[in-house]
Amino acid sequence: MAGGEKKKSGGGGKKKEVKKETGLGLSFTKDENFGEWYSEVVVNGEMIEYYDISGCYILRPWAMSIWENMQTFFDAEIKKMKVKNCYFPLFVSPGVLQKEKDHIEGFAPEVAWVTKSGESDLEVPIAIRPTSETVMYPYYSKWIRGHRDLPLKLNQWCNVVRWEFSNPTPFIRSREFLWQEGHTAFATKEEADTEVLQILELYRHIYEEFLAIPVTKGRKSELEKFAGGLYTTSVEAFIPNTGRGIQGATSHCLGQNFAKMFEINFENEKGEKSMVWQNSWAYSTRTIGVMVMVHGDNKGLVLPPKVSALQVIVIPVPYKDADTQGIFDACAATVVTLSDAGIRAEADLRENYSPGWKYSNWEMKGVPLRIEIGPRDLANNQVRAVRRDNGEKTDISRVFLVEQVKGMLDKIQQNLFDVAKQKRDACIEVVKTWDEFVKALGQKKLILAPWCDEEEVEKDVKARTRGEMGAAKSLCTPFEQPELPDGTKCFASGKPAKKWTYWGRSY
Amino acid sequence: MVSSLRLPALTSLISPSFTRRSTVSLRRRLHLRPPLAAGFSAQSAASSPTETEDRVDSKKSGRVQDRGSTDRVITPRSQDFNAWYIDVIANAELADYGPVRGTMVIRPYGYAMWEAIQDYLNVKFKETGHSNMYFPQFIPYSFIEKEASHVEGFSPELALVTIGGGKELEEKLVVRPTSETIVNHMFTQWIHSYRDLPLMINQWANVTRWEMRTKPFVRTLEFLWQEGHTAHATLEEAEKEALQMIDVYTKFAYEQAAIPVIAGRKSKVETFAGADKTYTIEAMMGDRKALQAGTSHNLGQNFSRAFGTQFTDENGLRQHVWQTSWAISTRFVGGIIMTHGDDAGLMLPPRIAPIQVVIVPIWKKVDEKTGVLDAASSVAETLKNAGLKVKLDDTDQRTPGWKFNFWEMKGVPLRIEIGPRDVSSGSVVISRRDIPGKQGKVFGISMEPSILEAYVKDRLDEIQSSLLQRAISFRDSNIVDVSSYEELKEAISLGKWARGPWSASDADELRIKEETGATIRCFPFEQPQGTKACLMTGKPADEVAIFAKSY
Repeated sequence: MAGGEKKKSGGGGKKKEVKKETGLGLSFTKDENFGEWYSEVVVNGEMIEYYDISGCYILRPWAMSIWENMQTFFDAEIKKMKVKNCYFPLFVSPGVLQKEKDHIEGFAPEVAWVTKSGESDLEVPIAIRPTSETVMYPYYSKWIRGHRDLPLKLNQWCNVVRWEFSNPTPFIRSREFLWQEGHTAFATKEEADTEVLQILELYRHIYEEFLAIPVTKGRKSELEKFAGGLYTTSVEAFIPNTGRGIQGATSHCLGQNFAKMFEINFENEKGEKSMVWQNSWAYSTRTIGVMVMVHGDNKGLVLPPKVSALQVIVIPVPYKDADTQGIFDACAATVVTLSDAGIRAEADLRENYSPGWKYSNWEMKGVPLRIEIGPRDLANNQVRAVRRDNGEKTDISRVFLVEQVKGMLDKIQQNLFDVAKQKRDACIEVVKTWDEFVKALGQKKLILAPWCDEEEVEKDVKARTRGEMGAAKSLCTPFEQPELPDGTKCFASGKPAKKWTYWGRSY
Repeated sequence: MVSSLRLPALTSLISPSFTRRSTVSLRRRLHLRPPLAAGFSAQSAASSPTETEDRVDSKKSGRVQDRGSTDRVITPRSQDFNAWYIDVIANAELADYGPVRGTMVIRPYGYAMWEAIQDYLNVKFKETGHSNMYFPQFIPYSFIEKEASHVEGFSPELALVTIGGGKELEEKLVVRPTSETIVNHMFTQWIHSYRDLPLMINQWANVTRWEMRTKPFVRTLEFLWQEGHTAHATLEEAEKEALQMIDVYTKFAYEQAAIPVIAGRKSKVETFAGADKTYTIEAMMGDRKALQAGTSHNLGQNFSRAFGTQFTDENGLRQHVWQTSWAISTRFVGGIIMTHGDDAGLMLPPRIAPIQVVIVPIWKKVDEKTGVLDAASSVAETLKNAGLKVKLDDTDQRTPGWKFNFWEMKGVPLRIEIGPRDVSSGSVVISRRDIPGKQGKVFGISMEPSILEAYVKDRLDEIQSSLLQRAISFRDSNIVDVSSYEELKEAISLGKWARGPWSASDADELRIKEETGATIRCFPFEQPQGTKACLMTGKPADEVAIFAKSY
């Protein structure tokens, strides 16, 4: 429970309507009721509001600012790669949507259809984009003529809609979500291959450096790859509490399949007609959900400093006869000093809440660092800093405030990653046989197993593990491969293994 | 670069995927697509400025000829404004028609203008205390019905989703035309006491209005916008907020987009469905039609009463909140195009331009090429480091003369030319987009970084203010003060804006619309002093109104 109760000291000079210190904590714990805990923490942390339409959620400013912080980074990076932003329509005509057969088989069951405008029925129902390949590529066909038109690198930030019926979960699986989708076309496969990995590295950066979440870069199996593409790479995260893998972001090489369907041809330098090589890549607001799941605790959200809207919350702790005004002034001055140094800081000077209530409130919202200023701190020209990630308390002199706070924020960022990595790594289990596999799956492990890389075998694994918890599937084949000794057998088929692949249940 | 002539016949764009559609819908689509290709090819290359020929022997250089095309040309603005607008959008690669009737693909060059708008406004919104968030795109139909005048205003334009995931939905869902209803639904849950107020949020989103008559940027089925929504404890605060935001828009229009909008209040007839008061910025386009470029609404308690959005005030009494909403959309991009363009194409204000300076290197002999390109790159680097948006057009596929025309058509404010003589003298030639011909061209500007940077920045500032001044003169010379309906009719028939005292009825206002096609654009905030008599009734009038035909 959020621990506001103990410090009864506060309350400020005028106790007008000090709120009863109840209803702030979480009623579920992360270890015992993960699902309920998650639903509660995203709401109480003011990230999400549930809405009357199932699977649609409201992204509140606290979540939106995290999205914006990631966006600022990613948008600048892709612009350096000469990717340009644009915007394609939300509406897809059915003809175009059906053009790529494998692709539509993947998405058709999830499409939402506009059938009426006002009172009148549309002649042809119009689909709402589940992704934009089929919206964009007719234009690529139109815009690309010669090799000088290549590469064509476009990106858009937008919403997409997938009308799924499986259990909706805020951020993780919602019927509408925000994302960026990049779509690029090249003259050669080499260029496309290179870009796939460049983008994947940016996704790794977002997860590991911004969200402090360890991810594995790898390649998806044939069964799990993007419908209609050549191959799919992804960054895969893992949620230890549920023992489920989660696809963090994907960077696809589409090969020439779409180019063929949409007739995206160009004349090469020799004057010959060729088809382009294409990529598409995306990350979505799902990132935020993964962050909540990995770092959150029983007090609420825990936000990495790099993405948090607020990095430091300053709280006055006045005592009855103390110099209240002096304390409030010190708080305001602290915020100014930190803000001038580029640190996102605010003071909570509300008079109708006690300091203890505020502590719990900001812990729930996951602000990385809390600074308390009371009479003793004022007298010693110091502040007390309390870390959200481990509760560590440090008194720091106001003389060295900026350096110290910056140092602590860096440590928090690093510590969140280290702890998450430690927990993730502790879940990795190397197995070699089916029995070991089944056992590890039962223990919610992230399983690394030698595999023959055959589609039928993966289907078989799915079939054999189907149950209440959902079937196991391949998560990815990591780029970093442990040594595979000759004669190693596939864990599932007993055939010669070709590679090490991560397996598990997934979101 | 995509040549205009490479636009395939329109039918070929749609044919493969649309063969299954009925011919009726095909006709509707085609009807919305003006004959783009005809526009480019029918014109001669007449607009190429002669002095480029002095410096550049464009066609004899022995380099690869332009790919089967002559210079792209757009319909002169003076000849046919609408055709010019459509040509500019296609040739400057601002947008393309979408796959569904009335939708639009915003291409990178057009989207970068929208990003310039976003970058400026997003900062201003945050400075004025607003937070960004995101509401779902789908709204249950029952929400829309709650505020009576709102549903009446929007219902014919609503796109409705009735099928999702292969199943008929229990309740039909509206693809948001605007978000007041869903915002209020949530505000009701977030607002409890006066301490929760003011609540001030904004979202950047797409919205859908199933319009029958569409025009790229100006009116499309789906468009991008920001919508601000706020809730306040008092009417005064809400009014102050609504005025503050129209002021933010006005400053943006003047200072960034160089569009001298007239800010004012809408008449009752033209007020937003569900608002008490609508404030607007009205811009005069190059064809003198008015464009409503941004609006800010004082919603009063209309939505809070419909949704029961209440708070407990300091005295413990339950009160309905007072609200505002305000928006600017991708329509504004259309406004920029139609305010500043000329016969040669786009003319972009430097603060909005995706490319502020284009550098065109000029060489004839192979041994000159390296020196010229090196100098051009270092000039580009200098200016980029100074924070300017620079494009170095070093392709050898096009002649310098072609490039001059092309970048003029794209509206780039400044062009820097560097030839072998310039390299040896350590100087460049700089031409302004807003001043055609020799007058706008200055020779011998030093390449020395500090001198060049200062010179370029000064010129860009000059262009920015000169575009605004020009637009102000144009606007002011096209507004006529009228004191009778006859005078109003005459002014409107001449294509001008009519400004006159007004205190007549809504019915009279509608009659004017019927008879002249003009509507009250606004009662401008800036009002003349003295007593006035209504142009229609002769009765005393407190205010003058501006009448005009509009987009």
